[in-house]
Amino acid sequence: MPVPYIFEGSVSESVTGGINMNKIFSDKKAIIIFIAPAFILFTAILLLPIGLVIYYSLCDYDGMKTINFIGLGNYIKLFKQDDVMKIALKNSIFFMLFSAVTQQIIGLFIAILLTNIKKGRNFFKNVYYLPAVLSSAALGLLWSFIFNPRIGINNLLAKIGIQGPNWLMEIKGFIILPMWMIGFVATWQYVGQTMMLYMAQITGISPSLYEAAYIDGCGKTKAFWHITLPLIKPMVATSLSLTCIGSLKFFDLIFNMTTGGPSNRTQVLATHLYQQGFRYSKMGYASAIGMVLLGMCLITTFLVNRFIKVEEYEM
Amino acid sequence: MAKGNRKKLKVSQVLILIFLIVLVVVYLAPLLWIIIVSLKTNSELTLDPFGIPKELHWENFKEAWEKAYLGVALRNSVIVCSATLVVSLLFGSMAAFAIGRMRWKFSGAMMTYFLVGMMIPVHCVLIPLYVQFSKIKMTDSLISIIIPYITFSLPITIYIMVGFFRSMPGELFEAACIDGCNIYRCFFTIALPLSKTGLFVTGLMTFVGNWNELLLALVFISDKMKKTLPVTLSYFAGPYKTNYVQMFAAILIAIAPNVIVYCIFSNQIVEGLTVGAVKG
Amino acid sequence: MFWDDLDASEDLITIGYREVIERFNKDYEGQYKVTPITTNLEEYITKFNAMVGSNTTPDVFIMDPGPRLTDVVNNGVAKDITSILNNDKDWYNSFSAGIFERLTYDGKIYAVPTNFAAALVFYNTEMFANAGVAVPTTFTELIDACQKLQNAGYTPISCSAGTAWCLSMIAGYLCDRAGGPNNLTDVNAGKIAWTSESFVTAANKLVELSKYFQSTAAGDSNDQATAAFYNGEAAMLVQGSWAIGQINGANPDFEAKCGVFSFPAIEGGADPNRMIVKTDNLCMSATTKHEEACIALMKYFTDETAQKYTAEVGGKIPVTNITFDKAKAPAQLTYVMDILSKATGTLGFYNESLPSTEAGATFDDAMVDIFLGACTVEQGLQKVQDFFTQNIWK
Repeated sequence: MPVPYIFEGSVSESVTGGINMNKIFSDKKAIIIFIAPAFILFTAILLLPIGLVIYYSLCDYDGMKTINFIGLGNYIKLFKQDDVMKIALKNSIFFMLFSAVTQQIIGLFIAILLTNIKKGRNFFKNVYYLPAVLSSAALGLLWSFIFNPRIGINNLLAKIGIQGPNWLMEIKGFIILPMWMIGFVATWQYVGQTMMLYMAQITGISPSLYEAAYIDGCGKTKAFWHITLPLIKPMVATSLSLTCIGSLKFFDLIFNMTTGGPSNRTQVLATHLYQQGFRYSKMGYASAIGMVLLGMCLITTFLVNRFIKVEEYEM
Repeated sequence: MAKGNRKKLKVSQVLILIFLIVLVVVYLAPLLWIIIVSLKTNSELTLDPFGIPKELHWENFKEAWEKAYLGVALRNSVIVCSATLVVSLLFGSMAAFAIGRMRWKFSGAMMTYFLVGMMIPVHCVLIPLYVQFSKIKMTDSLISIIIPYITFSLPITIYIMVGFFRSMPGELFEAACIDGCNIYRCFFTIALPLSKTGLFVTGLMTFVGNWNELLLALVFISDKMKKTLPVTLSYFAGPYKTNYVQMFAAILIAIAPNVIVYCIFSNQIVEGLTVGAVKG
Repeated sequence: MFWDDLDASEDLITIGYREVIERFNKDYEGQYKVTPITTNLEEYITKFNAMVGSNTTPDVFIMDPGPRLTDVVNNGVAKDITSILNNDKDWYNSFSAGIFERLTYDGKIYAVPTNFAAALVFYNTEMFANAGVAVPTTFTELIDACQKLQNAGYTPISCSAGTAWCLSMIAGYLCDRAGGPNNLTDVNAGKIAWTSESFVTAANKLVELSKYFQSTAAGDSNDQATAAFYNGEAAMLVQGSWAIGQINGANPDFEAKCGVFSFPAIEGGADPNRMIVKTDNLCMSATTKHEEACIALMKYFTDETAQKYTAEVGGKIPVTNITFDKAKAPAQLTYVMDILSKATGTLGFYNESLPSTEAGATFDDAMVDIFLGACTVEQGLQKVQDFFTQNIWK
């Protein structure tokens, strides 16, 4: 589950507890005891291996026994010679933008619709959120069947006389049809999550704000632009970084829907990494891809938080 | 407001409802299709994929269950995910408490440190991790996947829980301190019980994530009796042919616990998520 | 270590493996016990490399011939078993002649085959008769046959481009028919270019032939293409002989009308009697502590019982010189054996005969691109050429 990086400021409640509380809450020994288990595990299991990965990315390493240090060779090859890397970068960025846009807009749209109906709100909400708790791998398999030319949706279309396209194998265009389909399925699976975040924010807006606006002669649309949208802005930043990082790391669904095919055309960074590292046993090279992926995640989070300035409003 | 306006509202309500219902179909139809396919035979699937099966082939489930040791896998998944859940919630909220509530210089830096973890794709660290674990002869046991799972769950747990602890009114702790509570009691008897919703949501998110995790489990576990559910799922795709109907049956068995748990708790989940999200 | 779940699979060969292991464990009870490690094909190499990297290489493991085996041998992971075979003449001589060819590096043998399969053209005799088509022996005749079948209302060929190696198998045959055995060795050694004439001819023929594929060929998986053939939707199928078990298992009535012929010759090309074959092989870990047990296990896999099973039930070709009951074995296997006996040479699957797995995949992808019309024949081959200049011929 992807999560954004929005950490700002520090504890801001009043400090009226006096010396006693201050002392208790800055007890060094307690801090160490509280932090230590998580810190040690985290460092040993995640950060140290990352160090190794950085080293591997500078080596020619086949995953078995030979390791030769080759400096920046992998990175040079990655950006100069690797055509699949270009496709993967293009697809990853497309997929990120597509998910960001569709999930935000559709998610917000559904959220607004849902806050406007009275009956069955919970039912709809639950249904839309359901795929987000299911395994991407299983759903990827399912959708690959649905888009299969023989047994899938084309079978239904044929019954009404339409010859459906070859959903996962068309290769025309800058962004090919299969990538759009993958984007669609990802939106299908995760739009519920965005919807949920926005609903939370919208239901938190005080009704009196709207009442005041209506009295002033505001229409619904106007109220949306001037009240709802500014007030949910902080959530846009959260939700956007969530979606962006999630979609950059996306693997299971694509892997099970197309395995990167036809001819590597739906390869994204994560699948390219998997293919190079585990299929072709080029661990060093794959580690370099991993570092690029990590870098992109960091930059994206930074950009999102930089450009969507969170302004505080009283609710 | 005029009467006409109210009527217009009703029309728009109906339109919204229709739209929402269409969307429900888009969401549920693929899932229903899994059920239909899992009750067919393979040849029925190729000939008439969307039709209702003529006979209900329940034996697909039985065979899938027996062949892939789904019972054992289910048990393993439950053990692994529950153990991960308890430990990661405890460690995570302890760290979150120190970061979000306590006063020290590096709390911000520490938070950033943990959050970087959320950006690391699991593929990146798979091989180094496996090599290190084998060196200390830790692979091929449930504990060998529980430990990485806990670690991967920590950043999100800390992230959400920090939000929860921060949003608690400071007066609570002041009162406790005046009553002579020490820091540990503040944490265990005040902070933790009051953030039940947060714990519930993070717990659920990590549980679902780990329940569906495939790659790590696949590489770390060789013993048939220790495999988790997602790993056994991929076994229906053989090198030269695939048994589709049994695979669908197995998929259904694998996602059923998620669906059931979700249906039972959906309202709490949704509510908790909302609270957590707003505060986080 | 195997790539298919021994218990879950319905694959007859896999079931055969399971029986061998059970037999071994029973006979050696209290002494040795084989614990099979299973993964699926997709993750086999991931898992295998992880185990090698952490010094927990399985004692005996299955390995594809070609670049995978080369990797394993070059890394010293597999043990040289030449002396063992030499000291056990009875065992060594029980194998069919030439079977170790692709398992030998610098005169040393590194693996023992357990079965092998050959790629051929399966055809529907009924459709051929109805369309008035004879078995083609040349490419021109093949195209002619396709045209006639199409005129008679049949889909001439079922092929899967969704599973890249299926298409690449046809491409491999065309390359070999056009350029002969030296094609492969020369291109691997960098002596000829991928853009040279014989490859261009082969790729052009692939495009020509692909016009007669079923309409869903681009998206169909291997299973679906095979099913289309045995369900009587298409007249021909180019497949490995492992498909025999699958075909007869799924549609028992089809055995009687399923014929087999060798891939046709290209006029003015090379020797048309060479066959694409593939063996399943067992290697022994170089670091095993139980050498004797490994050898004993390998012998169980290649003894008469196991090999008879391979032929009679599994529908694959045995690797040892045993006489099996032809009546029990699937009819197609006999045809395959007949064709094989006339074969003048063998080659591996093209994608498995190139220097690395990635090179093989590059070749596969180029063929799929050409088939899909994503690029011209020349562009497609140029891609492979580029890959080789950058990675292989340094």
